[in-house]
Amino acid sequence: MTAPQAHSNEPTNDHDVTVGYSLSINGGTHPVQDAWIGESLLYVLRERLGLPGAKNACEQGECGSCSVVLDGTLVCSCLVLAADAVGSEIATIEGLSADGGLTDVQQAFLDAGAVQCGFCTTGLVMSVHDMLDTTPAPTDLERREAISGNLCRCTGYGRIFEAIDLVVTRRSGSPAGAS
Amino acid sequence: MSGERARRIEGALKVTGRAEYAGEVRPDGMLHAALVQAEITCGDVVGIDDSAARHTPGFVDQVSYDDARSLAPSTATALIREPVVHFPGQPVGLTAADTLLAARTAAARVRVDYVERPSVAAIDQALDEAYAPAMAGRIIGASHRGDPAVALTGAHLVVRNRYQTAVNNHHPMEPHVVVCWWEGEQVVVHTSTQAVYGTRAIIAHALAMPADDVRVVCRYLGGGFGCKGQLWWPWMLWTLTASKRTGRPIRLELTRAQMFTLVGRRQETVQDLAVGFDATGRLVAIEHDVLAQTSTHGEYCDTTAEVSRRLYACPNVRTLHRLVRTNEPQPIPMRAPGTAPGTFALESALDEAAEQLGIDPVELRVRNFADHDHDADVPWSSNSLLQCYQVAADRFGWAQRPASATVVDGRWRIGWGMATTCYPAHRQPCRVRVRLQPDGTIVVQCGTQDMGSGTYTVLAQMVADALGVPLSQVTVELGDTLLPEGPFSGGSQVTASMFPAARQATDALRAQLAELGMGHDETLADAVQRIAPDGIEAEGAATANADIDVRCMSFGAIFTEVGVDADLAEIRVRRVTAAFATGRVLNPLLTESQHIGGLIGGIGMTLLEQTVTDRSSGRIIGDNLADYLVPVHADMPEFDIALIDEDDTYLPGGVKGVGMLGTAGIQAAIANAIHHATGTRVRHLPIRIEDLLHELPATTPGALPSMSE
Repeated sequence: MTAPQAHSNEPTNDHDVTVGYSLSINGGTHPVQDAWIGESLLYVLRERLGLPGAKNACEQGECGSCSVVLDGTLVCSCLVLAADAVGSEIATIEGLSADGGLTDVQQAFLDAGAVQCGFCTTGLVMSVHDMLDTTPAPTDLERREAISGNLCRCTGYGRIFEAIDLVVTRRSGSPAGAS
Repeated sequence: MSGERARRIEGALKVTGRAEYAGEVRPDGMLHAALVQAEITCGDVVGIDDSAARHTPGFVDQVSYDDARSLAPSTATALIREPVVHFPGQPVGLTAADTLLAARTAAARVRVDYVERPSVAAIDQALDEAYAPAMAGRIIGASHRGDPAVALTGAHLVVRNRYQTAVNNHHPMEPHVVVCWWEGEQVVVHTSTQAVYGTRAIIAHALAMPADDVRVVCRYLGGGFGCKGQLWWPWMLWTLTASKRTGRPIRLELTRAQMFTLVGRRQETVQDLAVGFDATGRLVAIEHDVLAQTSTHGEYCDTTAEVSRRLYACPNVRTLHRLVRTNEPQPIPMRAPGTAPGTFALESALDEAAEQLGIDPVELRVRNFADHDHDADVPWSSNSLLQCYQVAADRFGWAQRPASATVVDGRWRIGWGMATTCYPAHRQPCRVRVRLQPDGTIVVQCGTQDMGSGTYTVLAQMVADALGVPLSQVTVELGDTLLPEGPFSGGSQVTASMFPAARQATDALRAQLAELGMGHDETLADAVQRIAPDGIEAEGAATANADIDVRCMSFGAIFTEVGVDADLAEIRVRRVTAAFATGRVLNPLLTESQHIGGLIGGIGMTLLEQTVTDRSSGRIIGDNLADYLVPVHADMPEFDIALIDEDDTYLPGGVKGVGMLGTAGIQAAIANAIHHATGTRVRHLPIRIEDLLHELPATTPGALPSMSE
């Protein structure tokens, strides 16, 4: 009989430390109350603020499913402390299209068939928007680099490149991109 | 005839983040659950002390074996009723608390006492205990026809090798999750499942409840690939137990690390394969022996050797599956179960034979085409494999394949390879309800679920086509056991299963309308207002296939070009051309996407994916998505997919499955191309840089053949 084994993986942070703060998300102010100070931005978005568009899939910044834009920079919200995002402008998939319609990237994902199960899709849409905002005509290598942090298993990879092509063409006003 | 390239009808919800996945349902007062996991490899749980856990602020409840003893015994409840640890990480309890942090903290404070027993952490630690299971998947585990031993002795050429494939994990992007609550004696279960009805049945059985008191919902499913079924059920049942006792909704969501351990895996294989040929390149014998891992608590065997029984014409074939029980997680089907590892061996061996016989690899396969299923000695319902070879070879430019491995593109040594793929076409029982609404729109209901493959869209297309209405007039409801019973999402069966049921429902609806006096020139909208102002509905029901006198399979041919870095041995798949024959193609847009996705999964299995186990503890090493490599966008080759339309008059609607086909064959096509590029034959998966580093021949400049259009 072996000696009883004690667990050693107990969280070291004191979870009694709770804080209240406000986050600026998609142009609005969202108060957060009694939150553990170690909560990730992803957790707060999904579990406290009712914004589930960013998905929780790996909890370690490997898959990009939780992509949001923080002060203009694309980040994995699972790696950002929510309490550290106070004072920052946070943009999530929910705020992409103010009128409730589709952005050109979202429309292109639909048109190109770049969506399957959809769980990685919101993160990819955020990443593609971010890439095209900074690089309106990305090269093949730039595209591959920009979205290789977004894992997809179903997968729409082949079609996501087609969707990017569609957006680039449509934004340039070329009739070839019209559908 | 191919159907419309219709866009995904639920696509707008997915690109905006408005599609509600199971874990996003938020009932008031919901608790969070966490699992207490075994820290030993094998043994018995002799004590569970949750006194420290109970002092965690926010703690609400802890359940374990004692709370599950009243559940009905079954394979689904064994792991939560019997305090036996079969593999490291096996859940031994569940905590529920107000927050996820509190639940996890409490779980870490549960003290578990064990009595350890000796363990087996790898199949080669217990080879003498290998046994032959009666069944491999749905087929008999062993087969024998002719006299392969004698035929091999007399063969002109025998290629005899060992091929090995690694453990893979499915890793859908959405982790397994359940959100459940009780309403009196009834329970509502939102869960990520490939089988809402299968889940309902197991819950009803385990809790001795009428099935109608259990509602299982899964409207959107974030992928599955085989892992979102039975193996997850024990922990889900613990969650239901805790919810009932606390009277509160509870959510349990697995971590990515738990997705390596608790939801199944593609079993590793060691395959000893001998293929014999006569001087003209005709197969005279195949012997295919498969050794694979299963767990100490469950038995599962992929149909790995099935391809050797029926893919080619061969008079003498012997196949055998054997299993070794280890204290590792239980394997289950993963995309292209059996055909993925099986074709890797068989199609690699054929490539080796083609080279030794001096016969082109495509020609060798054409010479061995099976004009009927030689295993069951029955005709195919359809088999367009020869056309697949021809179309894919033409589009790839195979005729210009250089014989030797001298082609260099800059630093890249280039190789071409090809292989065959196949998968059985099955159907399950299915009911579909079609309702014509008072406003003339159509609602279609089926209690299956959309794993991401496009089930919503193809069902809408079937009904829109049959009723002659625009797709925009059709709404589809899936993923709820309040809907008529539909098939589980697995084995590429859903579309084929829905087709006859949907057709029966639309036929019945039309017959009812005709009986009520619908005019020949009348639209459905006009007719329903005039003769059925409350709307009208009809159901169709179809049975599973019971093909005895005929064999139904999908086939395909896959051609690849790989580049191997002459100095660093980095392996890149540069382009893939494939032709797939899957009966009638209902939606080319979705079908091509399924094929590309399948091929990418196969590329992952070939070059990247490997679940590594510690040989002493049985624990998984690197149980995260940083260490378990999957293909990313940067790995994408150029794809050229040809859909070969077949007119299969035997199958209802001529529909075969699609999803598995691309994930088999591609492994050997890549391995064969690597051999063509480097002269190195790698007979195990994944094939990594280290397999090629030492054997790279010196770079010889040569011309890259021009690619035919």
